[in-house]
Amino acid sequence: MSVETRQSLPTFRMPAGFNGLLPALVLIVLFFVVPVMALLLRSVTEPEPGLQNYAALLGDGTYARVFFNTFLVASVVTIVTILVAFPVAWMLAIMPSALASIVFGVIILSMWTNLLTRTYAWMVLLQRTGVINRTLMAAGISDQPLPLINNLTGITIGMVYIMLPFMILPLVGTLRAIDPMTLRAAALCGASPFQAFRRILLPLSLPGIAAGGLMVFVMSLGYFVTPALLGGTSNMMLAEMIAQMIQSLLNWGLGSAAAFILLVVTMALYALQLRLVGARRMSGGA
Amino acid sequence: MLLDYDRMGWLKIALLGFTALVAGFLLLPVVFIVLLSFGSSHWLAFPPPGWTLKWYQELFADPAWLDAALTSARIATMTAILSVVIGLLASFALVRGRFAGREILRGVLLTPMVLPVVVFAIAIYAFFLRLGLGGTTIGFVIAHTVLALPFAIIPIATALEGFDKSIEDAAIVCGASPLEARLRITLPSIRIGIFSAAIFSFLASWDEVVVAIFMASPSLQTLPVKIWGSLRSDLSPVIAAASSLLVGLTLALMVVTALLQRKVRT
Repeated sequence: MSVETRQSLPTFRMPAGFNGLLPALVLIVLFFVVPVMALLLRSVTEPEPGLQNYAALLGDGTYARVFFNTFLVASVVTIVTILVAFPVAWMLAIMPSALASIVFGVIILSMWTNLLTRTYAWMVLLQRTGVINRTLMAAGISDQPLPLINNLTGITIGMVYIMLPFMILPLVGTLRAIDPMTLRAAALCGASPFQAFRRILLPLSLPGIAAGGLMVFVMSLGYFVTPALLGGTSNMMLAEMIAQMIQSLLNWGLGSAAAFILLVVTMALYALQLRLVGARRMSGGA
Repeated sequence: MLLDYDRMGWLKIALLGFTALVAGFLLLPVVFIVLLSFGSSHWLAFPPPGWTLKWYQELFADPAWLDAALTSARIATMTAILSVVIGLLASFALVRGRFAGREILRGVLLTPMVLPVVVFAIAIYAFFLRLGLGGTTIGFVIAHTVLALPFAIIPIATALEGFDKSIEDAAIVCGASPLEARLRITLPSIRIGIFSAAIFSFLASWDEVVVAIFMASPSLQTLPVKIWGSLRSDLSPVIAAASSLLVGLTLALMVVTALLQRKVRT
């Protein structure tokens, strides 16, 4: 009988080619999914079971300010990054390749340089007695040092600096994929350069702008290092607050609740981005 | 005519000028920090009143810096090896496997790249505290491999997608075993992808700050943790010296990458 049963059961076989995924899945499940889930559990169990941590976070003016600040900074950084990146990507897409490779080299050098090194450089450059303030004063543009650090200006400069490569590189791909003939056709049909830009070039590059912009926005929302070093105490961002709640205040309940809010917002935007570009194309680099 | 480089007229001049400005903006902090590291002013005055090597002497005289650099190099090397091996296996499955939910699994494996690091940092910190892995090399390597894996999978999977599998099949038809065909035909063909994966995952660990800040113990500090600690106390020019060496490392990596890519093309 038992032999009968065993034979009639369909033998379970790993789907073809699946085995290679096992080490990666074990690693991610054991050391990523489980710890993150355990953290989320703490947000509703510490100090006692219930949603009091979320109530505290969402009902308090101080925390509301941090949430507002985080969205404000991420939005400003995203908009500035798009505006600066677009013309550069545009040129890179059509430049002679010798010239373009110089600019690409600069972008890669900046991107690959240690994050703390870059942030340190901006801390020194932007300080009250720093080069930028001295230059501005020497040039007579300002007669006293401008507050460029420990505020929104400092965070924006530092963050745009870090995010630019992430916007420029994918946009070059989008712009290169546009057939120049469409623009030639527009010109032949009497479109002014401005009209051609607004009605053809911009709409055709919009998917790239949206995808890159969303990525920059998501990355900015959860960024810790640069805002913590270039921002002031009055415009703390969410990631820094979470780190403080855990590291200095040892308030795991509140900290993990804040982390969960950040996670939900990030993942929702990520899902939106996947829908925009498709998982395949995103993982395919470009 | 907006995409005709040779027929853009004044617009091209304006856009090129803007591109040059942005390139200057991107280059500014890197060049600035290298110059500053040779400046003699302790208060980081610029242009410096004189030139000196004393910050480098101070840097090398302090064993804590060298220690931190060696710790980082060790952890980053192990992370790179682990992520490339795991990423290689996973990429073959993702690109060639025929099973349901492949796209979802790919998404899951890439999630550590998009989840804010601070969330993962406190999660793994709490988890490792319970397992007793906090502040250990193995703990660092595991956490960094989770973060580095997407950076290994993306270039390898891309290279593999661009590789014509029929070449591998031809080798098998000619008598090679499937494993032999993969090792001797496929792997060499996607070596640029593998090499990029190694560099990216090495850098992902080498530059990683947030997890490291939480995981570090007084006896186990990576270079970013050491820099972070110094940055929080003062902006000493010694940090500029350490930073310049890091810039040098980046340049070296870029040159090696460029040379390898050229070699593959010819």
